Amino acid sequence: MTPTQTTKESKSKNTKHSNLLWLASFVSFVIVFASFVVAFQPRAQRIISLVPALTEMLYAVGAGPQVVAVSSYDEYPPEVTALPRVGALIDPDTERIIALKPDLVITYGSQVDLQAQMKRAAIPSFDYRHGGLSHILVTMKELGVRTGHVAEADQAVAAIESRLAAVRANVAGKRRPRTLLVFSREPRTLRNIYVSGGRGFLHEMLVIAGGENVFSDIDKESVQVSTETILARAPEVILELRPKEIPAGQPMRDELASWSRLASVPAVRNKQLLFISGHAVTVPGPRVADSVARMAKALHP
Amino acid sequence: MLSAEDVSFRYAPDGPLVVNGVSVRLAAGALVGILGPNGSGKTTLLRLLSGTRRPSAGRVMLGDQPLDRLSRRDVARRIAVVPQETELAFEYSAIEIVLMGRHPHLGVFTVEGPEDIRIAREALAATGTTDLADRPFHELSGGEKQRVVIAAALAQSAALLLLDEPTASLDLGYQLEVSSLLLRLNQDHGVTMAISTHDLNLAASICRELILMRDGKVLASGPTDTVLTPENVRRLYDVEADVHLHSETGHMTVVPVRRVTR
Amino acid sequence: MNIRLRIVTVVTLFAIGTVAVVLWAPTVGSTSISLAKAFDRSIPWEENVDAQIFFVARLPRVLSGALVGATLAAAGVVLQAMLRNPLATPFTLGVSAGGALGAMLAIAFGLEVGMMGVSSIPIASFAGSLVAIGIVYWLASSQKRGLSTNVLLLAGVTLNSFFSALILFVQYLSDFTESFRTIRWLMGDLDVGSYSPLIAALPFVVAAFAVFAILPRTLNVLTLGDDVAAARGVEVVRTQRLAFLSASLATGAAVSLGGPIGFIGIIVPHLVRLMVGSDHRIVLPAAALFGAAFTVLCDLGARTIMAPLELPVGIITALIGGPFFLWLLVKKS
Repeated sequence: MTPTQTTKESKSKNTKHSNLLWLASFVSFVIVFASFVVAFQPRAQRIISLVPALTEMLYAVGAGPQVVAVSSYDEYPPEVTALPRVGALIDPDTERIIALKPDLVITYGSQVDLQAQMKRAAIPSFDYRHGGLSHILVTMKELGVRTGHVAEADQAVAAIESRLAAVRANVAGKRRPRTLLVFSREPRTLRNIYVSGGRGFLHEMLVIAGGENVFSDIDKESVQVSTETILARAPEVILELRPKEIPAGQPMRDELASWSRLASVPAVRNKQLLFISGHAVTVPGPRVADSVARMAKALHP
Repeated sequence: MLSAEDVSFRYAPDGPLVVNGVSVRLAAGALVGILGPNGSGKTTLLRLLSGTRRPSAGRVMLGDQPLDRLSRRDVARRIAVVPQETELAFEYSAIEIVLMGRHPHLGVFTVEGPEDIRIAREALAATGTTDLADRPFHELSGGEKQRVVIAAALAQSAALLLLDEPTASLDLGYQLEVSSLLLRLNQDHGVTMAISTHDLNLAASICRELILMRDGKVLASGPTDTVLTPENVRRLYDVEADVHLHSETGHMTVVPVRRVTR
Repeated sequence: MNIRLRIVTVVTLFAIGTVAVVLWAPTVGSTSISLAKAFDRSIPWEENVDAQIFFVARLPRVLSGALVGATLAAAGVVLQAMLRNPLATPFTLGVSAGGALGAMLAIAFGLEVGMMGVSSIPIASFAGSLVAIGIVYWLASSQKRGLSTNVLLLAGVTLNSFFSALILFVQYLSDFTESFRTIRWLMGDLDVGSYSPLIAALPFVVAAFAVFAILPRTLNVLTLGDDVAAARGVEVVRTQRLAFLSASLATGAAVSLGGPIGFIGIIVPHLVRLMVGSDHRIVLPAAALFGAAFTVLCDLGARTIMAPLELPVGIITALIGGPFFLWLLVKKS
């Protein structure tokens, strides 16, 4: 090695080292700064939630005590029954909301008027937009941050994820029945049947639970299907989601009888008409894991 | 043939009497003019005579039967009405309008047969509108429309014709045509007629009898040359007028001179 | 000039067209089926998908479409004649608003009034129509001289506004799903999936058409005006009563079966009059036949254009109705 080459090499080595040092300090600085920001994120202490799914999430991440009011349609958890109501999607009671002096209001993404009013009243709002299954988990984490329950949120999310993974594992390798996932229809007849298309959290739940959506080719969350289309797609299982339990006896017989008209559908022939009832199944909230488990149990007993 | 006996009529239960104690006699073959200013009750009187309104007091007799005892069909077979104006909501051809005059003679499911069509065509011929038969009614001129409507009334084969201001919307030429047509129908075919009009000269030219009405009451009635006097014209219209016998036509003519105040 | 011949000829031509459409429509759809299989008796019912699609999905639907179309078109003709207004529709006098309110109440409050194989909503809708008919009739007859068409029109329009306000109120009180379902019902739906609703509506429609059968020539004469018609031998009040009650009853039945499908009651009578003139002896049956075919074809479009998705049939009729009226307007001026 010549002296000049050594100097050049050692000089470039030095430059490289100092560059790395700069980068490392910069990154650490950013991390520290971010933690400060996170740590000093105002933790909402008086929360009003207009979205039932997010109310459930709040309780699931431990922010329940911080909730001061809910929407007219909130039912779960039982603690909300004692809370004041402030309206819902089309009729939020702005006056009442402001009077309760919240420091966080959870609104639907489409409630632009309400959001504008909250902005004017200098009340922070969290705007929820409907999304798929993963969006539920992301939202829970965000709520954890906003309410100062980051650790619990992470835990809750992790619990849900592991349950979902467990279900996935359970049904792996099993044959996926072709399923019609019905979430709404006119009682006692086959008119106005709404099913899940190939998009949205209902569809994703079905996939995890080990079913194959016969309407997965339609890129919509909600599809109204005709008698002809159901006959043509010939699902092997019809899975109906109901908000309330159908009483046994005549009501149940009536519901089953409605489908019997479509005699050629395999689900009808093989008596694979399954019902999952309860408020939880159609709420894109923390109880999805339960719902998925129930679906899986129904599809793969 | 058709008579109103002391009839009165009010449109609203607490409204004024539009026709007040009027008695009219239409003998068979008569050609009567009902004259009066607007609002004198002429149109209402015609409605009472045709049975489309029931008098609040008094009664109308058709022959020896009270008019309200007869069904609309029976009345329509004996009395035909020519309204002042005809506004159609839908498009019909002239002959379709005339054929509607056969309605009272047809049963519910009966369709017009060759006889009905013959009568309709005759009615068109009588009013000089044969070549208008297949034209849409709304495309016709005022005079043509009026003649078609008269043909429709004729197609009813009724012995009695009630006309409400038949020449009101017609120009002079058509006025002459229609009035001579009416005269012919009365004299050659024996159709009994009552014509309500405010046109004194029309009434004078063809009507043999006149009934003068004002404010729902009969002012005077009788043969034309006795009733049509300047005195009566003044009482009827608040107008001083000259009443002459026109040498060429042989009719009375009325020429208004000036208004008078009551 | 042979009137009877003309009536028979024209109506027969329309009948042939309509029968052809009604026979053809169930053979096409979003799924291709084999007619041979559908009619093959040897295949057990539970296994014959083609037969099920034909007899359970399509045939009741086509027949409902024909019934609703014939009824709304005929009712439209009768009401236009009675009101002497070519712009009148079967929905002008508030019947469909009553039907809509009934249906919404059933949807929003989950009323369970189903019977004889017919679900709650059609029955509630029909009940609502009857209430509306009763109110309008009572209002219009309270005049001394029997049924006044002006009061009828006013009462109908008023009822329409009032019921529409109530409908909005009910929607406001409903939750999101119910609200959506009520809106969907308003767009019309002929996918009955069974013959029961059809059979339930049939007696009312038949009764109404029995009355329609005796009205046509009278409706012609009625065009001339109440007084002139009376002078031509028409019992005006009795005719108006019959016309109003039969047309409204028929409309109520049609709305309860397929929802308030708009424009049929006004496009079809107009088109038919343009084709055959105004003699109601031809227009009434021709409109019924054309209305049936028109509705079946609209529904065919509704169930095939965006397959496998479906458009509500009311949207198809509206999409045709709008331009149709623009064209009429341009033509008239």
